[in-house]
Amino acid sequence: MIIPAGERPTPARLRQWWVLTVRVIKPTLRNGELLTPPVTSVVFTIGFYIPLKKLMGNFTNGMSSYAQYVTPLIVLQAIAFAAVLTAFRSATDAVLGINQRFGAMPIAPLAPLGARISASMVRCSTALAFAILCGHVIGFRFHAGAGFAAAFCIVALMIGVALSLLGDLVGAATMNPDATTHLLMLPMLIFGLLSVGVQPVEQFPGWIQPFVRDQPISQLIYALRALAGDSTTAAGVANWSVIGPAVGWLIGTIAIVLPLYAYRSSRRR
Amino acid sequence: MSNTDKGVVVSHVSKSFGEVVALRDISFEVGRGEVVGLLGPNGAGKTTMVDILSTLSLPDGGEAEVAGHNVVSDPAGVRRSIMLTGQHVALDDMLTGRENLVLFGRLQGLDKPAARSRCEDLLAEFDLSHAADRLVSTYSGGMRRRIDIACGLVVRPEVAFLDEPTTGLDPRSRQSIWDLVAEFKNEGIATLLTTQYLEEADALSDRIIVIDHGAIIAEGTADQLKEHTGGVFCEIVPRDLNDVPTVAEALGELLPDKSRAALSSASDRLSIPAPDGANTLTKALRLVEAANIELADIALRRPSLDEVFLALTDKTISDTEPKSAAAKLS
Repeated sequence: MIIPAGERPTPARLRQWWVLTVRVIKPTLRNGELLTPPVTSVVFTIGFYIPLKKLMGNFTNGMSSYAQYVTPLIVLQAIAFAAVLTAFRSATDAVLGINQRFGAMPIAPLAPLGARISASMVRCSTALAFAILCGHVIGFRFHAGAGFAAAFCIVALMIGVALSLLGDLVGAATMNPDATTHLLMLPMLIFGLLSVGVQPVEQFPGWIQPFVRDQPISQLIYALRALAGDSTTAAGVANWSVIGPAVGWLIGTIAIVLPLYAYRSSRRR
Repeated sequence: MSNTDKGVVVSHVSKSFGEVVALRDISFEVGRGEVVGLLGPNGAGKTTMVDILSTLSLPDGGEAEVAGHNVVSDPAGVRRSIMLTGQHVALDDMLTGRENLVLFGRLQGLDKPAARSRCEDLLAEFDLSHAADRLVSTYSGGMRRRIDIACGLVVRPEVAFLDEPTTGLDPRSRQSIWDLVAEFKNEGIATLLTTQYLEEADALSDRIIVIDHGAIIAEGTADQLKEHTGGVFCEIVPRDLNDVPTVAEALGELLPDKSRAALSSASDRLSIPAPDGANTLTKALRLVEAANIELADIALRRPSLDEVFLALTDKTISDTEPKSAAAKLS
């Protein structure tokens, strides 16, 4: 029968979120996208560690090794790359007209976003696991105990959430998957290189040091480094004065982007 | 199910985008089981109307109800009652046809077994079973449109909005969509069909609403619209195009002065009003035969809907008096 008889069933929000999450993840199992987190982790590890170890190995602010020093940046870049894929997906949905179609269906307003973010979390978790694994290979270790290691992972994933939300919003607004990727990757690369992730702030020219020290990527690196700890005391203490600014940046980003998204998705032209 | 017998009630709806007036004072109704064709050129406001009715856009003024739900105050009710297929197919290209159908079923509240079984029914109905496990990105235009519409039918709609559903389709795919519209009618679904194709509006719609520059300029059945533009005429085509002036002379008073004046060296046929139908044709034939002119064709014709459409949309609608040019026929 081409047209079904009877009443329509009542849609369930949780089920909508779940099937929309599966919708995003399923193709990544087929098209090889799931391979990108391990590949990017290896690439970032090789790209940062091998060329810079000799050059920067002496500038680790007294930390035990360059591996311990640089791994937080590798983790951060791997997560950022995973999050950019969310933006790509969001822009693709927008350009295909799927967002609009969902807008005319009885779908909970935040379900499509929630689904893309949870799918992004799957990618970010994989990226985090592989980045830590790569770090382990070059000599990175958690020195501050299981609790701080868990906190390290939570902060890393929160970075994923914040960047995914930001990327989703940018992607939906530009409706151009390729431009979105470039728009997000470029700042990540520039902020990453002009941060304390590669070398201590003192190694930068004086005029740019305030920017290098205070910009969000550096603040996140300080926090991750302190949470990972070191065999020396040079990684810093994981107290609120070190972790606070990073968490502030993350919560601030989420707090700004979420209402913007809610406004954007609820608004009818 | 709503109690109202109207699927769509639009009352004095207007909409502007900045300076551009997209819709002005639009009112119409679509009954359950009725197919109404919204006909107009590109940019006439057809899609804006569908966007408002499917809750994607808000009207600036006026009221609209779909299946008894107000589009402004009860969008959730509207969304639970409609199916919408747009000019552009909106599917997940990275999923297969089957996965898309199951996804849409589950999003609309079917559990997994029900969604799967409904999906198989629809694949068979839309002749897509052979391509069910291929990614939608590999489908042809016609297949994409069919799976798109199938996704709208995983649960029963009370009102269907088909926004230019056959634009760019091959004849076979177009026919299958035409068949489907007939099915909607049998099932008591109110259908609003927007189209640029007069043939389509003529074949499918119970009533046609012609809009241009955001205003309704005519409304009625295809026959009423044709009647409006002019009655039956007789068309005469000489075998030798050089005979056109001779035919014009032979026809004498049968050819109005205005038509005579409009003839040029490029004219390949002549049209005369045929108020007496076959009698006029016979009279014309005798006159032409007497002049010893060989004809390629002579026939009685009614104005095509294309001609009606062009005649109607040629009129410029004044901003201040949009209704002045409106031809209300129903």
